[in-house]
Order: sequence, then structure tokens, then C-alpha cells
Amino acid sequence: MSRYETLVVERRGPVGWLEFNRPAKGNAMNARMLAELERAWVELDDDPEVRVIVNTGNGSAFQTGLDVVELSRDPEALREQSRRTKRAELRISAWHNSVWKPVIAAVNGVCAGGGLHFVADADIVIASSNATFLDPHVSIGQVTAYEAIALVRKSPMEAIMRMALTGRHERLSATRAYELGILSQVVEPPDHLRAEAQALAENIAKNSPSAMRATKRALWGALELGLTDACRAGAAELVALWGHPDQTEGPLAFVERREPDWEPLLPAARKADS
Amino acid sequence: MTFSHFDCLIVERDGPVGWLINNRPDRLNAMSAHMRDEFAIAWKELDADPDVRVIVHTGAGRAFQTGVDVTEIASDGVGMERYRESMVDFDLHFTAWHQEVWKPVITAVNGICAGGGFHWVADADIVIAASDAQFFDPHVSVGQVVSVEAIGLLRKMPVEAVMRMAFVGRYERLSAQRAYELGMISQIVDPPEELRAEAQALAEKIAKNSPAAMRATKRALWGALEVGLTDACRAGAAELVSMWGHPDQVEGPLAFAERREPMWDTKTTGDAT
Repeated sequence: MSRYETLVVERRGPVGWLEFNRPAKGNAMNARMLAELERAWVELDDDPEVRVIVNTGNGSAFQTGLDVVELSRDPEALREQSRRTKRAELRISAWHNSVWKPVIAAVNGVCAGGGLHFVADADIVIASSNATFLDPHVSIGQVTAYEAIALVRKSPMEAIMRMALTGRHERLSATRAYELGILSQVVEPPDHLRAEAQALAENIAKNSPSAMRATKRALWGALELGLTDACRAGAAELVALWGHPDQTEGPLAFVERREPDWEPLLPAARKADS
Repeated sequence: MTFSHFDCLIVERDGPVGWLINNRPDRLNAMSAHMRDEFAIAWKELDADPDVRVIVHTGAGRAFQTGVDVTEIASDGVGMERYRESMVDFDLHFTAWHQEVWKPVITAVNGICAGGGFHWVADADIVIAASDAQFFDPHVSVGQVVSVEAIGLLRKMPVEAVMRMAFVGRYERLSAQRAYELGMISQIVDPPEELRAEAQALAEKIAKNSPAAMRATKRALWGALEVGLTDACRAGAAELVSMWGHPDQVEGPLAFAERREPMWDTKTTGDAT
């Protein structure tokens, strides 16, 4: 992996790790992190050894959104971010960067405001028992949009509206987020989070990379369309993989009681750069 | 009305409740090509029978449904190719939704529901399950894509849980308890042997309601999964208004005032499109 200043990017077995690494700043995103995130997602997605990606944070926070203080001292970076926000051309999450490998967000502590991008845009979300979620945008006169819009598609809406409107004056607990289906696993004690994330990722890494990529495209694509149109598009993803070698290898390995030897992923098209 | 003879299904009526029972227990109710054809007929017959007000779908044996019959796919030299045309055209006929059944459909999950079995969870109006039911989606573990059934599910429940099942494949199972917490199902029946009795009781409650009003309601709510909020409300308002002046709207309040069961109009329930 290449060098990063604000992130830790590494591979453990088949699992690529993307860790926010500004613990003294609540892992808030400064200009460098914004640039490095784009590079890191693409690097992990392009690495054939990486089958699954885990996204977590170092220190007591998971992610607390834009580092507004530092960005205000860097007018050029702020302008660039504003331009991308305005045009819906953000490149900070896996979804923004068209990453079609499975992504697990492992929320290790507070997740605030723009940090919710990484919860909304992950496929699977787990959290340590001491994780909390809040969206302070409206408490400082900012609008909540992208993160909450995606979350509204994926979870019971009332909870997301309440978080958006109570701002910094309330926090959602990991337990409540689990009850609501925003996440699927609460890890107790908290310091087992990374081990649990690695174990979950290793299970997922046993599945066909090609089938998972088509599955991810079908399911995320379904959030764009009405039910019948989404099923139609999904059916096309399904049929596109018929005849793929993994579809012979999978059942064969099952019968022979061994791990399947999946085909490596062919390079996928990524959104054109703006 | 009598039903056709089916080899892979049991189709029968118990009072106002039509039963559709997956009946290949030795194959965990996996769907062969023949069973798939029979589903298309069974849904249409149950929908056409005026004595059937509500439909319950369940399975015989320890599984509810486990998707396509992989043994048949692997052994007859045709494989999934037999389904290519219908899948490319998205011209499917094995669930109530595919067959445009506008009577209420309850899926009663009696055991394992795996992979393609989710079609009948996604496409039912109401889902209940035995306490020992288990849900998992092994598609990606055998190199297959998860698509249509999960797309239906993720409109109806928290998406993260659907994605986790899709990517974990055969390495994890969702319990009936967690499915209940997530709102994927609305009732857990314990002990499991009581499932059919509970499903019949629930269906009989539903059968007390106006068939015409339930049909318009079902069309309005499923239609809402197709479009944005304002358009869905607009289409829903049209369904609502279409019932105004229907005899059931006089009979309903009258029966309530007279403390008797309503005599719903059944003549006008079969002819709407």
C-alpha cells in the first residue's frame, strides 16, 4: 500500500483495512484526509488480494465529519470541497468511489455529522458497545442532507429525522442503532471490535468475489428505482453471471468439502472523474 | 370451486382461507421446473376462487423453501439456462406478486428459508414464522448473484440486515427472533407446531374485512414501492376514491351499528382490473 498521513491503509489476509487516523482531532476530515480517502478506496478496490474492506477509526472516535477549523485556514481546499458538495461529486466514501467489494463499517466510538457518510454508504455496519451516533449539523446552522438521505433509504425514517433535528442535543446508542437495524452487531467488550470485524470479513471473503460484486450492484442499484424497474435491473445483473466459472466451482467445492477456488475479479468500470 | 391436481404443492381451502403448501419435503421444498410451473397455476386458481378471501403460504416438512432445486440444475444438462429468457424479460410467475394476486397473502415460514425462498417472504403482505425458523442466503457462497428477492426485501425492512445476509452467504443464519425485531416478520409462533393454527386464525381475522377495500389497499401500498412519495400518494388517492359509493362502505358501518358481521359484496370484487 502507498503512504498515507491521515489514514492507516493495510491488508490482513484477504481483508483490506481503512482506518481514520487523526485520533487527536476525533478523526475529523481535513483537506489531506479528503484527498487520501479517494486514493485509499481506489487502492483497496484495485488490490486483487483484498476481498473485503473494513473501515474503522483510531482512538475514541470513529469519524466526526469535516474539520471545519482546519479547512477554514485552507481556502483552496474548502473551495474544492464546496464545489464537490454542490455538484454531488463527493469522493470520500466507498459508494462515492464506486467500490464494488463488500465494505464493513466498524464504528469504534463517536460517529458524528459527516461521519454518518461512512455508515450510510457501507454494506454492513457493526459497532462497539460504547459507540454513539449524532448529527450536530443543525446545531451549528448547517443542513443535513446526503448522509441522512441514504440512511432514510436504509433504516426506519423516524429515527433518522430525530437525529437530524435534535442535532448535538441527543445521541443514539449502539444498542438502539442495533434495534433499528442500522447496524447488525454490537461488540462487547469494545476492544474486541477489530477482531470481530476481521472474523466477519474473513467469512465474507470465502464467497465468490464476482457474485458479490454483481450482488452489490443489484442491491445498491435498487435504491435508485421503483420496485419493478429495480427487479428488472437486478435480473440483468443475475443473468450476466450465468456461465461464469465460479458457478461451477462453487457447488463442486461444496460437494468436495473444500474451499472454492474463485476466479480473480476482473477490473470494474469506475465513475468517470469530474 | 375445486382446485387442479398438483404434484409439488398442496392447494386447499379451509373456510375463507386458501392454503398453498410447498410439498417437496424430501428436497427441502426446493423449486424444480415443474414446481415453478405449478406455482403459476396455483396462485391464479386461489385468486379466482370467490370463497377464498385470504391466502396462506407455507411448507411441508422442516423447510419452508430453499430456492431453485440445485440437484435438478446440476444433473439435467440444461442448468439455469432454462430460466434465462424469463429472467432477462423479468417475466416470472411463481409468487403472488408476479401473478398479481390482490387478495391478502400471509407467508407462514415453518423452518429453513434459504436463498430463493426469500421470494415468498419479500412478495407476501404479511409474514409470520415458527420460533425455530431460520433465514439465510447462500447464493454468493456458490457463485450466484443475490438479486430480485433481496431487492423486494430491502424495500420493506432495514437494508443493512439484507446486505449482511447477501454477503455473508452460508456462513451465518438470521433467527426468527432477529427477523421479528427487524420487522421482517410480525409474529413468532411458539411452539412451532402451532404455526398453521395461528396462520389460520390470523387469516380468518383478515377475512372478516371488506375484500374490495383490501384489494384497493393492497394495490395502493404495493404501488407505493414503485414511485416517489408524492406520486405514490396521488395513485393511492385514486384507489381510495375508486371505492367511494361501493356497497361495502354502507354495509360496514351498518353492521357495526347493528353489532353483526358485515355481509360484504362479492359480486363487484372480481371484475376490477
